[in-house]
Amino acid sequence: MNAKSLGIFGLLVMLFVFMVLMTSDPWTDIFSSTFLQSNNLENLLRRVSMYGLLGIGVAFVIITGGIDLSVGSIVCLAGCLLGIFLQVDYEPASVFDVRSANSQQQSVVVYGNADGTYKAGDKLRMYRGRRPALLTVLDVEPVQLANSDNKSIGVGTVLKVEGLSRDEDSGQVAMAFEIADFGPAEKDQPAWVSLRDVPFDLTARDRVTFFHPTLGLKDLVVSAATQDGSVSRIEFEQTLGERFSKEWMAVPTERQQRMAIPLAILSVLGIAGLLGLIHGLLVTRVHLQPFVVTLCGLLIYRGISRWLVDDNPVGFGIEYKETLSPLGSGKLTLFEWGDGANTFGIPYPLFVFLCAAVVAAVFLNLTIWGRYLMALGSNEEAARYSGIRTGRVTILAYVICTVCAATGGILFALDSGSISPSSFGNFYELYAIAAAVLGGCSLRGGEGSIFGVIAGTAVMMLLNNLILLLKIPDRLEFTIIGLVILVGVTLDETVRRIAARRRAMKSASN
Amino acid sequence: MSEVETPLLEVRQVGKQFPGVRALHDVDLLVQHAEVLAVIGENGAGKSTLMKILAGVQLPDSGQVLIDGKPVILDSVKASLDSGVALIHQELNLAENLQVGENIYLGREPNRCGFIDRKQINQDAAKVLKQIGLDVSPTKPLSELSIGQRQMVEIAKAMSVGARVLIMDEPTSSLSSAEAERLFEVVHDLRRSGVSIIYISHRLGEVKALADRVVVLRDGENAGLLKRNEISHDSMVRMMVGRDISQFYSRETLATGDVVLSVEGLRTPTWPEHELDFTIRQGEIVGISGLVGAGRTEMLRTLFGVDYPIAGKVVVEGTPVDLSSPLTAINAGIALVPEDRKLNGLVIDMSVRHNIGLAALSRNRLLGGFLNHRVERRDTSQMINDLRIKTPNDNQIARFLSGGNQQKVVLGKWLSMLPKILLLDEPTRGIDVGAKQEIYQLMEKLAKEGLAVLFVSSEMEEIMGMSDRTIVMHEGRITGELQRSELSEEAIMQLATGKANEGATVID
Repeated sequence: MNAKSLGIFGLLVMLFVFMVLMTSDPWTDIFSSTFLQSNNLENLLRRVSMYGLLGIGVAFVIITGGIDLSVGSIVCLAGCLLGIFLQVDYEPASVFDVRSANSQQQSVVVYGNADGTYKAGDKLRMYRGRRPALLTVLDVEPVQLANSDNKSIGVGTVLKVEGLSRDEDSGQVAMAFEIADFGPAEKDQPAWVSLRDVPFDLTARDRVTFFHPTLGLKDLVVSAATQDGSVSRIEFEQTLGERFSKEWMAVPTERQQRMAIPLAILSVLGIAGLLGLIHGLLVTRVHLQPFVVTLCGLLIYRGISRWLVDDNPVGFGIEYKETLSPLGSGKLTLFEWGDGANTFGIPYPLFVFLCAAVVAAVFLNLTIWGRYLMALGSNEEAARYSGIRTGRVTILAYVICTVCAATGGILFALDSGSISPSSFGNFYELYAIAAAVLGGCSLRGGEGSIFGVIAGTAVMMLLNNLILLLKIPDRLEFTIIGLVILVGVTLDETVRRIAARRRAMKSASN
Repeated sequence: MSEVETPLLEVRQVGKQFPGVRALHDVDLLVQHAEVLAVIGENGAGKSTLMKILAGVQLPDSGQVLIDGKPVILDSVKASLDSGVALIHQELNLAENLQVGENIYLGREPNRCGFIDRKQINQDAAKVLKQIGLDVSPTKPLSELSIGQRQMVEIAKAMSVGARVLIMDEPTSSLSSAEAERLFEVVHDLRRSGVSIIYISHRLGEVKALADRVVVLRDGENAGLLKRNEISHDSMVRMMVGRDISQFYSRETLATGDVVLSVEGLRTPTWPEHELDFTIRQGEIVGISGLVGAGRTEMLRTLFGVDYPIAGKVVVEGTPVDLSSPLTAINAGIALVPEDRKLNGLVIDMSVRHNIGLAALSRNRLLGGFLNHRVERRDTSQMINDLRIKTPNDNQIARFLSGGNQQKVVLGKWLSMLPKILLLDEPTRGIDVGAKQEIYQLMEKLAKEGLAVLFVSSEMEEIMGMSDRTIVMHEGRITGELQRSELSEEAIMQLATGKANEGATVID
């Protein structure tokens, strides 16, 4: 640890003590401090971890003498891509899109050939908002569909039905099944039903939608299912309720997750790495300035993110509540008190962050590539003249940066559960750069330590917390953070100058 | 010029310390009215520091500067200009994007209510340009001027502020011989018109031709003063070096071994029209001589894989080498100590150990790419001992070492790799006399141990003293090779100026 890291660490400790004292009431009883409340501390650790990841990544680029402004947009892109890769659809069996439905003629026209899928006597669910409609098929007849100019637009099917109560010009129809049997008799116990002729095997986490034309809808998650000939017995953890009867119909839906979780995460990180590679190539081979390259990245990735999801919020909902989401929002509980009302634990992102920090610190300090990075950041020409492939090392730094940013983006997205592509990750690059600079990275390159970046991030987050807890108007947040950084780097520069002068005098007198 | 007259400028007992170096110690200097005073000395003798003090760029730690007998404090460039002292920089300080006239009046433009008065500028500039005999329009963009013309513009600029003492720092280093001729005429004219000139040059021929008196500096101290009639090549060199050259260089010719490096038809990207061919044997020290810009550095850069060769074959110990990057050159056993150690040789803000270990990191790495600290420490301490690098410890930042020790660190980096061929580009530039001699001894020792040493030098004495064989270059091609027995300044100079050009003035 060098003197610079020590300085920022000192600042961190001072801020911490200051926060404790300022938020305790009275001053002597520090345990009354709102700052020291366990959820505040947990939250702080979580934020430090996530922003810290960004800081570590950008520190690598800053050490090469470059800059990465695209971090915030990469965070957003990673969040959106993860949402897309992990999107879950529940697809009913034998579903068709409705072109039009005529209640007078009791006919429904759907796209595609439904002959063979549906036959007379089948029950269909017609989707119509929250109010389900049950149709019975009388006749199925394929037709050629044409648009208003009499141009063919492919095959369709006319369904003669019973039970259509109003006209539609969109929607879907899907096969509905009658309840063959259900139980148990005690309606407050986890339920089971059996259905006949379900065209696919249901498994855990699939869903079954039960509906009744007047009594409404119920969506249950399958916990287990067994197949016995044409009869499927489906078990749930939820109950069916008092009013459930054989009058209800069931639409089994198959859970379709686009990618397995590990694959999704690897894909996001891979794409981010690829973008980093492009940044690096543009900087080293085309000799563009890092500022320009990554500024363009900032704009491009933000736009792509918004376009990919149509500017709609991306959410992970309850689908990954048990599996992936805790990685962002969960914690490892260490203490419990007051009958479990109070807990303190280590947020999971902290583990991710610490792993990344240890790997980064080892890489930077103990491997030849870390030394290469420091050398080329300080004097690229001399590094090249020493046989170092400076281009490759620089590219590596950009890849590390975008991968770290994407990792942070995944955690941020999981933590907040739902992200809006137009604002998610905005200005995060500035937090990351500020943390790195505060932590002792010189924008001229060749200087910086992982410990410093961690301390720098912690200082930033403490300041943020201070503004919140001391009820300083949050409009002033950026101002305060800006001022603290300014004072910090000014002090650092001054101290360094004095130290350098002293050292120079000392070696001159030798 | 009478001796009782108050000198125009006087420097008394000036001293200046830099980190790790005593740049000047009790230096005296007298400049009379209307004389050309040459200040000579080897690199690192303190000339540049002294001139920076006179130009107000640096303040002395001790001593006085007097102008017209009155002490002055030259604490800024403006203060110096106000006192009538102007420095013409080695690297010209002109704005390429501006016109000639605008350059001359840069920073003190005549104005009318804040608007630049172009008419005035051009009128005044034309007058000054005419005075020094430079026939260009004040409205011509500077970028269209040759280096020589630009230097004239610098001089015009100095004259336009009414300079009485003009300091010229290596003014001919980048001029053609015709341009240099013109410059000498201007110097004569200026002196005739009453301006004094402090002329700094390495080219002793020029000094001999121009100077009224010569002040010699050595290791930051006055080493002597030569009057007009005492100025001779030998006397100057003796004073600069402080001993006879014959003692300084003690090269004994050695029996040499097999060919280590052979270069056939090499075309560098800078001079693609010329083919370079030569060989070096084990234990041989080959000097490369030539004027500035003869393509010597470019050749070394190409041999080291920094510049990719256009064509040609480079064979090291019988194996052809593809010189696509410094790494391939290093792996083939080639090492380069570059001309500018601060730019290319050292990571100046890293420690001595990290610098010495830098090139060998990959070779010594442990499984998984981890640093091998043990080997690095061992190699570093060996190099510090072998090369007698003066450093408190191996954690010292390279920046705080003297030039000579920095150069030894660069050498140490390469010697720890046990190269077969050592390329040295101006190995003794900017280092003090003591370290210089150590480097010469080292070159000898390495050659004795079987290394092939190829060095570029612009110092004639160095070439004459050190090389077994000398390759002379001129405008990108090799114009000749001289064996040790054939070496003479005249022979080198003839080849260096392209033979046909025998009437060249720039001979030192």
